[in-house]
Amino acid sequence: MMKVITGVVGNDIHVVANRLIELSLQARGFQVFNLGVNTYLEEFIDAVIETDADILLISSLNGEAEGWCREVKLLKAKYGSMLDNVVFMIGGNLVVGTGNAKDIVPRFKNYGFDLVFHQVDLNTGLDELEKFLEERKR
Amino acid sequence: MSLLQEERNIILSNEFVDNFDFAEVEEFVKNASKDLFISYNFKTKNKMLVQPRGGFPTYNKMFALYEYFVDANVDVLPCTIDSNTRLNDYATSQKMLRLSEESEVDMLNGYPLINHGYRTSRKMMTHFNKPISLRHGTPDARLLIETAIASGIFEIEGGPITYLLPYSKNFPLDKAFLYWKYVEKICANYSKLNEPINRESFGPLTATLVPPCITIVIQIIEMLLSLEEGVKSFSVSFSQSGSVMQDIVTGNVIKRLAKYYANEIGCGDADIHLVYHQWMGAFPEDQNYATQLISMSTVVASMVGADKIITKTKQEASGIPTKEANAETVANTQYLLRILNGLPSFTDKEEEEILTAEVMAIMEAVFNDSADTLWRKAFNSIKSGIIDVPFSPHIINHNNMITIRDRNKNIRIIDRGKVPIPDRCFEYEKSKCDLTKDTTSIVNDIIHDIGIMQ
Repeated sequence: MMKVITGVVGNDIHVVANRLIELSLQARGFQVFNLGVNTYLEEFIDAVIETDADILLISSLNGEAEGWCREVKLLKAKYGSMLDNVVFMIGGNLVVGTGNAKDIVPRFKNYGFDLVFHQVDLNTGLDELEKFLEERKR
Repeated sequence: MSLLQEERNIILSNEFVDNFDFAEVEEFVKNASKDLFISYNFKTKNKMLVQPRGGFPTYNKMFALYEYFVDANVDVLPCTIDSNTRLNDYATSQKMLRLSEESEVDMLNGYPLINHGYRTSRKMMTHFNKPISLRHGTPDARLLIETAIASGIFEIEGGPITYLLPYSKNFPLDKAFLYWKYVEKICANYSKLNEPINRESFGPLTATLVPPCITIVIQIIEMLLSLEEGVKSFSVSFSQSGSVMQDIVTGNVIKRLAKYYANEIGCGDADIHLVYHQWMGAFPEDQNYATQLISMSTVVASMVGADKIITKTKQEASGIPTKEANAETVANTQYLLRILNGLPSFTDKEEEEILTAEVMAIMEAVFNDSADTLWRKAFNSIKSGIIDVPFSPHIINHNNMITIRDRNKNIRIIDRGKVPIPDRCFEYEKSKCDLTKDTTSIVNDIIHDIGIMQ
């Protein structure tokens, strides 16, 4: 059973999607550790290390994800090889105001995410995650 | 000096409070016009009271909002408090109030009552001779409530559960219970001087697929915590669920059981009222649809037999509504209430029986907790998942209960978590749903059901 850490990053109390992500992941056979809303990047990384998780799935709705996620690379550098095999995934509404996925996806990949979903519906995003895990196995 | 008075002295010696004159405030409440008390309006006005939402940072803008509402024939004026004051951050609300006054731009999403102070606020709150309702969302509202009553605001919304589970991730729930105990005591003491201060619980909770049994249990517990401190006038409330049948049944059951449990603890002499919130979930972007939805809420409120309705505006989907939009809703709601006469009363006997059994089973589990006081029993029940609010962001809430809508848009429990509803009720709830679906489609259903009115 693969382990997933999930939660909503920063000062964001939008809990509905977070709860649905947890339900959907469980239905797909993942073991889920849900840190809930208002979670800081350091807390995510601590939980990944503590549980030896395979995947970190961060969600954000209020558009402030970008401000928080610029630190991902720094944290990855700090922990070195401990995070090498962890899949970093982010989804939700990733920018304040309007933006298009063409610009947003490469930008977030550059911050250190393997999978980026801006305004993509939940099941599509999780299908992509499963595809990504399959391909990595080969 | 009593312990309570000692605590009051400490709370009111806050640097943001301009010396609080206890004797003068007591004299003011004693001689205040009865029209300012919503408890008196409930007794004397033979109609559903209409109350909008709204609050602006500066005195002048707030006054202008009230003038608009009075022109629209409002029954109850709102005083919505800004979010910094709600978090007891009076330094920030002070700064933002100054900026709002100097630049004509609203830097706060409500009225910073503490910074304006009771002497200033009282001029406005008594000017229109209409009852004012305090709308906030504050876990520690001790200073706010003292200031509100001193200002002439004689209805206080909220409670330790309803102002915490939907709004906070980790504010300690046990602290919230104790802070609200203080609020109840202050309201009860002032109630002896004139007409009673009314307390109102916040029934909508997360406004997202909350089943009626959970809403009613929490309403009743907050009512009991209030009555046992000596409050004599209390409003239970709930918001439009999306199912007309379920709203009518919820209204009947909550009215009956609120009286029953008030009698159970020997507080049958208190007045209990019912408040209905127009649709509190996700709103349609289309303003015409939003107007239709609001009108429908008013019709349901009449069928439910609410004593007060709290309005929404057609601009709900796009941010904080203007005073014009707010006043328009008030006028429309009053118009609709005038033409809605002689509605037949009906109910669904089976649904009512099932809901009653669910509520009583959960209440019994709460009362059976081994703790010595009701607030501790309630605290333990939330901690152990006996009370579970769908979509609460708070860490103490279990989030094990799963609800979806059936074909007729009724909210049904398909996973009860640790909530002790009787087996036969649980079977009944599940029998109304198609459970052959896989979880992925159920999640898609939930996403659809959340935006039921879109």
